[in-house]
Amino acid sequence: MRKPKKLLNNPNHVRQEVMEGLVYAYNGQLKSLPNYCAIYRPSIKTDQVIIVSGGGSGHEPTFGGFVGEGGIDACALGEVFTSPSPDQIIEVTKVAHQNQGVLFLYGNYSGDGMNFDIAAEILAEEGIVTKTVRGTDDIASAPLERIGDRRGVAGIMFLYKVAGAAAQLRNYDLDNVYRIANKANQNTRTIGVALDGCALPQSTSFNFELDDNQIEIGIGIHGEAGLRRQTMTTTDETVTEMIDRLCADLPYQAGDKVCVSINNLGAFSNTELLIVTRKVGIELNKRGIDTHDVVSGHFCTSLEMSGFSISLMKLDDELQALYDLPCNTLGWRK
Amino acid sequence: MQLTTTQLKPLFLQWATIMQNEKEHLIELDSVVGDGDLGLTMSDGFTAAYRAIENSDEADIGKFFYLAGKTMSTAVPSTMGTLMASGLMQIGKIFKGKSTITTNEFDAIFSAYFDGVQMRGKANIGEKTFLDGLYPAIQSLSKSNNSDWLTMAESALTSAKQGVTATQNMIAVHGRAATRGEASRTLLDPGAYVAQLLMQGYYHFVQQSTRNS
Repeated sequence: MRKPKKLLNNPNHVRQEVMEGLVYAYNGQLKSLPNYCAIYRPSIKTDQVIIVSGGGSGHEPTFGGFVGEGGIDACALGEVFTSPSPDQIIEVTKVAHQNQGVLFLYGNYSGDGMNFDIAAEILAEEGIVTKTVRGTDDIASAPLERIGDRRGVAGIMFLYKVAGAAAQLRNYDLDNVYRIANKANQNTRTIGVALDGCALPQSTSFNFELDDNQIEIGIGIHGEAGLRRQTMTTTDETVTEMIDRLCADLPYQAGDKVCVSINNLGAFSNTELLIVTRKVGIELNKRGIDTHDVVSGHFCTSLEMSGFSISLMKLDDELQALYDLPCNTLGWRK
Repeated sequence: MQLTTTQLKPLFLQWATIMQNEKEHLIELDSVVGDGDLGLTMSDGFTAAYRAIENSDEADIGKFFYLAGKTMSTAVPSTMGTLMASGLMQIGKIFKGKSTITTNEFDAIFSAYFDGVQMRGKANIGEKTFLDGLYPAIQSLSKSNNSDWLTMAESALTSAKQGVTATQNMIAVHGRAATRGEASRTLLDPGAYVAQLLMQGYYHFVQQSTRNS
């Protein structure tokens, strides 16, 4: 059986060293609180709402790689696939906030939700106002009637983009940053496919394994079981089903204008990813859905998982205006 | 009998000890339905909580429990760690401003614990969780309020054990176990078992305290 193979210094130092890597990569545009494994943007304006995110490591560049101009302002880094603790969130929020309010924006997982909620309660006692939006874009994680139970995956980059632009570049107040992040979340849907699992740094085995001729439709970014496993097929057939499912869910329909993210879950080849990208374009065109923008690359990974996900965000005038503003983050420059 | 924070420190030591002693057993139980980290989470979490209060001279009962909970939330931010921390922090809120508690107030202590966990995790009785182990113990403590302290603690432990056994006829609604649906019914809930361990630690604490007095 295949064994995981990783080049690391120490599996217990992953998040700390990821943080140090981020700080160097930002070349002066990122500060850290080393004792709390948290990062923030040094150039936060004094009159802005700040956006704080966080989550487990292992999804790079999500979440910390979206800190920056036109992105989010601060981020707490948990251990691999584990929520950050309340004190990390509290300390970085205290350092970054400007008394204009704070939006907590993160993926919908029970651990993250509880830790951010504790942080929000403690910050409230100190007079720091927070509101919370949780990304729920993974359509395979729960049926539409339980949309609030859905997990957050790659689509969070659109939420960061739009809310970050609103807070930093258009000076939206907290109620409106909250409103626009919610609207972006309501308009965003994602579905993923895996060819192979991944392994936690401390682990000697993969979190799940697929036969050589199998793929899994609807995989989660921690290896959560998807909708089904099936025999290996073609890119075109797989993407067609994914687009069908996405379009049926929102729904996205003829005349809609969308942003598209085609995301590498880790160890998929970018060659295959572009063949996916090709078919996404064909399928959206066929349905009369107008593509406003496309990004393709590593945005929300699951360690070395082989596979990809497709995210769509439907635009209206307000979302489009915010989306079109520039951003300068490690994960996404525009 | 009135207890101060100094006299409550051994309770945290009992909790830390029992979680350490039961670490492997918890890992085993959790591996069936979860990801197997419960044993580490509970022993690390309760050990961190004990270390935080061990040398603290905090006299306020509420602040004392809050400190333990806050430390645990930092040490073990996984789901069950956060829930246990939320329980301790809720005791902290309810008992803030008090410098002593009586032996008859432990039903209120555990009720606050229950409320903290319930508000954070949003589970209900009968959904095969920690709450199903703790709830019968609290009921027992409230009912037996005229008995002596040790008898009350003993009945509470018995009730917790019955609660844990009863989870073997419940369908999981939360966490990974929930994905099994009906197939989850006969499994023993590791969270409820943690509640039993809390009551067992409490029982040992009462034994020790009554022996000393």
